[in-house]
Amino acid sequence: MITFDHVSFRYPGTEDWILKDVSVTIEKHSFTAIIGGNGAGKSTFCKAINGLIPFYYVGDFEGKVQVDGIDTATANVASLSRKVSYVYQDFENQLVRPRVIDEVIFSPLNYGYEDFQERGKRALELLDLTHLAEEYVWQLSGGQKHLVALAGALALNPDVLIIDEPVAQLDPAHAIELYEKLKVLHEDHDITIIVIEHHTEFIASYCNDVILLEQGNVKWKKPVREALNAVDELTEKQIHPPQVTMAAASQMQQERMLPVTVKEGAEWFKEYKNHPRKMPKLVVQPGSTPLIEFDQVSYGYKTLSRKRVPIIKDLQMQIRQGERIALVGSNGAGKSTILKLISGLLKPLSGEICFQGNSTIKTSPEKLAEKIAYIYQKPEEMFIEDEVVKDVAFFLKVRDNPNLEQVTEKIMHQFHLNEIKHRDGRLLSGGQQRRASLAIGLAMQPELVLLDEPTASLDIATKREMISMLQKLDSQVKASVVATHDMQLVAEWATRVVVLNQGRIIADVSPMELFSNEALLRRASLVEPQIVSLCHQLQIHPIELSIEGFLNRIYLEEAASERFSEVF
Amino acid sequence: MSVFQKFFSKLTVENIKIELMRTAYGNEQTPLARLDPRMLILWVLVYSIIPWLTHNMTILIGLTLFTAVLAYLSRVSPLLIILLIIGVISQFTYLVFAATFLGNSYAALIAVIPVALKVSCVSLATMAVFTSMDPEKFSDALLKMGVPGKFSFGVSYGYRMLPILIEEYQSIIHSFRLRGKQPEKPGFLYVRYIYYYAKMCVVAFYPMMLNTAKRTRTTVEALEVRGFSYTLENNVAKDLKLGYLKMKKYDVQFLAITLLVTASVYTTGVLMPL
Repeated sequence: MITFDHVSFRYPGTEDWILKDVSVTIEKHSFTAIIGGNGAGKSTFCKAINGLIPFYYVGDFEGKVQVDGIDTATANVASLSRKVSYVYQDFENQLVRPRVIDEVIFSPLNYGYEDFQERGKRALELLDLTHLAEEYVWQLSGGQKHLVALAGALALNPDVLIIDEPVAQLDPAHAIELYEKLKVLHEDHDITIIVIEHHTEFIASYCNDVILLEQGNVKWKKPVREALNAVDELTEKQIHPPQVTMAAASQMQQERMLPVTVKEGAEWFKEYKNHPRKMPKLVVQPGSTPLIEFDQVSYGYKTLSRKRVPIIKDLQMQIRQGERIALVGSNGAGKSTILKLISGLLKPLSGEICFQGNSTIKTSPEKLAEKIAYIYQKPEEMFIEDEVVKDVAFFLKVRDNPNLEQVTEKIMHQFHLNEIKHRDGRLLSGGQQRRASLAIGLAMQPELVLLDEPTASLDIATKREMISMLQKLDSQVKASVVATHDMQLVAEWATRVVVLNQGRIIADVSPMELFSNEALLRRASLVEPQIVSLCHQLQIHPIELSIEGFLNRIYLEEAASERFSEVF
Repeated sequence: MSVFQKFFSKLTVENIKIELMRTAYGNEQTPLARLDPRMLILWVLVYSIIPWLTHNMTILIGLTLFTAVLAYLSRVSPLLIILLIIGVISQFTYLVFAATFLGNSYAALIAVIPVALKVSCVSLATMAVFTSMDPEKFSDALLKMGVPGKFSFGVSYGYRMLPILIEEYQSIIHSFRLRGKQPEKPGFLYVRYIYYYAKMCVVAFYPMMLNTAKRTRTTVEALEVRGFSYTLENNVAKDLKLGYLKMKKYDVQFLAITLLVTASVYTTGVLMPL
């Protein structure tokens, strides 16, 4: 379907080749994942398929790309776009029309298809979006917007669908739903699908081929199982194979192919026994005074029809010193709203929130910010100066803090920002932006830090770095609250998990209890880390939250067969 | 709470956003909304000119009443009405004040009334029309009337971006508030507070612009692959897209009613000038 023949490309005005002598073939009706670290050229590779390169980005282009027998260099973007559709990572910016239905008929209309209405409706039906047709795009949730972008791409009835990081901004349950839809498109509608993906668990369950890009070059293309079995090579490139694969790889059974899905993992480990272990005692600190107290708090926002939609209902909660709290729940469960209420940016419609005994209703956000730092989900919106170092110092500077230089220097060092201190925060990479936003928050020397999705849309290596930074926060702050979809973060970091569903707390438990309780996980549409599912499958109770814990728990019985032969 | 406090407590960014979007997209079922958008554009053009061509008070009152009825039927947002009233009253008061201080008599008051009426009439007509016509129809009507495609798309895209921009602006303001320092004392007539907020509102524009510029990169690429420039060059889509725009019997009826009302207002005015 798609062939690259010694393709090289560099953007105009740059020295380095982004693609270097790439030769690879992607078969018709395949489901291919493209993996590689930051700057490996993944997006550039995809843009060479739909003709944006070399038509829109007129750089130096060598070699030949063919799509369905058409040489892209002799075609044009318009004719290629009808064959190849693209869904961007920042998909919100590709939605240009007010209503969902306008959005999905936009492309077919532009290309002059008489049946543009039917095409749009068919695309909506394919993704079960028909009920949203008349909705305004800006009122949809993130997950719904992503599906609308996908429907807009499907309306052209393409042969090839390219999706850049499809699940980066979705909660785990919606991520699975999206991949299930892609699976249907692939199997029932014969669409060739290419995804750029960091999450190897999804690659294992849905893709059939994997292309590894490294510094603009195709390192290899392998069938999925073989690709994910290259554990050492992937780990070296900061790509983490699925947890079951990692666990199996350390068991030194070289002759067997490693498992890549939970099901295969359960089969692989079925001979193993496990050491019994008691349910660990919960860490409770009775008597410590609450930092934050929610008393019957309700909040809602207004819609176009001026009606209030409740988001938080009669919330009762306390946050105590020394706690690491994770707020979890599906999109729209009210996680971010709770953070904004604590920070004082939103005031409750009824009820009261107290910080160290003082109501937040009468206190301005400026005053609260002296004790509470709120770190946004989108770091771009935290950059209000033109240099990172100025942003970090802003809070201290307007307060004429005598320790300004000292604190700033310490924080810049702690978050490894010295090399980029004079750059504009908006122009940094995703991981750097996260680090900078965390630094801005901590330079305020807060007692309580609130983080909204600190690990969203980071690649795995940067995510690891982020989690380890969060783990070091305890010495600097009294408590931290994180709103997140990232169950790995919950498993490795949190001491307490507050599970939200439609604005109410449905559970307030330890991570251990949360992941042990499958019914609760389903009810809050959460998806546990793979290693936890494996424990469920192998009926290991209580469960383990990390690969190391799991490996320490299990053992292979001293070759039962050998003892047998001794007897006889 | 006094009326003013009540009004200002409703003047939040969130409420303004909702009212703006309601004005833009909200009304579907009003009498004016069912008209062909070209008819509406034509009508508002005519009605924003004719009040300026007369001094006859009866005619002006009649026209203002007519546009007020239409504005009422179009369910214009109360926020806009309040703003209009505040605008008219303040303009009225300062003119009268100026005139009285400069030595004229109450005659100035009488002289200002026609201007106030003209302004109200034009504002009401414009509000009625733009509340009834969503930006999509407006943009399609412009396209049909021969305005270049890039411009008419710009109109609808601009509206589409408004809520996103407002939200982003709000978050950046929040960023400033979460790190800034409010003046400790409000100062004489809240001067310090006003300065603090006004400065923040201005400074917050720059980060918003830069973020938007960054975003646009994807948008422009997406427009390219989704055939936007193709359709501009080839004009294939124009007829398909605008096929639904047709002048119907209803439009003719509306035109007839308007002519009838206007004619009778003028006749009354000529016969019984105030």
